[in-house]
Amino acid sequence: MPYLLQFLQSLAVAALAPLYAGVLTRAAALVQSKHGPSILQPYFDLWKWLGKASAVSDQTSWIFRAAPYVAMACYLAVSTIVPVITDQPLPLAFLGDLLGGALVLALASFVMSLAALDTASPLGGLGASRTTWIGSLAEPALILVFFTVGVLSASDNPYLMNHAIAASPLAMVLPTHLLGAVAFFMLLLAETGHIPIDNPSGTIEISMIEESRVLEYSGREYALVKWGGWMKLFLLSAIFMNVFVLPGGLGDGTSLVGGLVGILAVLGKLAICGLAIVIIDSSFAKLRFFRIAEYLGGAFLLALIGIVTSYVVAK
Amino acid sequence: MQHLTLASPAGVFLSLDAVLILLTAFACLGSKLFDRYLTYYGLQSVLLAAAAATAALVTRDDALWLLAGLTLGLKGIAIPLAARRLLVRRLQLKRDAGLALGLSTSLILGAGLCAFAYLVIGPQNLAHGLISRSIIPLSTAVLLLGALMMVVRRHMVAQLIGWLIMENGVFLGAITLTASFPFIVEAGIFFDLIAGFLIMLAMTTGIAERISSASLARPRREPS
Repeated sequence: MPYLLQFLQSLAVAALAPLYAGVLTRAAALVQSKHGPSILQPYFDLWKWLGKASAVSDQTSWIFRAAPYVAMACYLAVSTIVPVITDQPLPLAFLGDLLGGALVLALASFVMSLAALDTASPLGGLGASRTTWIGSLAEPALILVFFTVGVLSASDNPYLMNHAIAASPLAMVLPTHLLGAVAFFMLLLAETGHIPIDNPSGTIEISMIEESRVLEYSGREYALVKWGGWMKLFLLSAIFMNVFVLPGGLGDGTSLVGGLVGILAVLGKLAICGLAIVIIDSSFAKLRFFRIAEYLGGAFLLALIGIVTSYVVAK
Repeated sequence: MQHLTLASPAGVFLSLDAVLILLTAFACLGSKLFDRYLTYYGLQSVLLAAAAATAALVTRDDALWLLAGLTLGLKGIAIPLAARRLLVRRLQLKRDAGLALGLSTSLILGAGLCAFAYLVIGPQNLAHGLISRSIIPLSTAVLLLGALMMVVRRHMVAQLIGWLIMENGVFLGAITLTASFPFIVEAGIFFDLIAGFLIMLAMTTGIAERISSASLARPRREPS
């Protein structure tokens, strides 16, 4: 049964990630008084791309062709180790802790940057350079955020963190936890290319960050790249809600019914997280590129203060 | 404060409030619009008034209630409003150009000072379970951030804000550290401060109007 749930969890992440992205797009359109595409549009897009042949430049090497598959594998690997539908660890949960998950996500970003450089197209190089710069600033802050939950739960396993937060209502309002949660949300926006870092629906090549890395992809590979991006958004939002904000309502890891209820619970939580993302997307402007350092520095600062205050407040 | 423990609801609220006060100090340090300085300073004073009110609620001290009301009325509302009317509307001060250090660098320095405050206070050596354990290092950090603001900003108004932030840090430490701090002393300091602020505001206005610059980077002679 645990292995079935493990499979169900990864399946849910892969299958529901496009839905989450579609709901976000639709909700953003509604907030801006537009009609917007159907919430199923990402599925139609995926279906269309998967049926198309892909055009690959003859200047590229195997790296370009392999990168989408490696990135997809990374996202699937992360989906096995974080709590998405159950709050008891599933059999593969001890493959890695949160730092390990962050490492695997960084690997996915790294291979995509390599692929972008491999095409030798100017925009690809630009995108790779920009994402690497942002990633190098976001990564230290992310590690500090994991430490803020780590000092509360005395662990770096996301399941134990979930339990520590769920066990005591007091832990929810401790400055350490609140600062860590805000910093993680800021990093979530940065890592998934949302406002104020990047415009997810932007079409101007010169200001793209995340998207300009994948301009050269088409057909099946493009489908994998986009799908991977949606899974990343889904996974990070699920970690944010399950570990930081609303730890309850998940299945217990022994029954299939619990797992199915957990899927519904996580969808409900993601609706809340998505609402926050949509509101920010619609009400803020994109930051100037070199102001991004200040934004990420702010996230770093919040996490650092959270850790420093934990020395006295938590005990 | 004998009955104000860390684990009580009031203690948790005070810790949270103190952390927010620290964050507003950081926000001041990280912005460069005069309008923002005043907004964040006003917000910080409102949070400080909430902290004083919480302390008053727990200790049932009437003098603290009075201080909370004064803080809210004067520092939270009157000073920001008056300064905004004078500086932003009349003198058209918008962007603070007199930065001695970049914003990111000052923020990193501020984070270092914050850690330094914890290092020198050594909260792990203070009495267990008391609220001062979490508030004293935080208020020291606010004080140091105000000092840093005075160091890295060259404009007179920005330095004034830094000075007021320092005062808020002292006040935060004082209300939570000693319930029996004589009211007359605190009130005296308070009114000194207000008077000083008003005088300096008037001076700034005068100087800025006469020599059209209030930067302290290179004080100029008055053109004759």
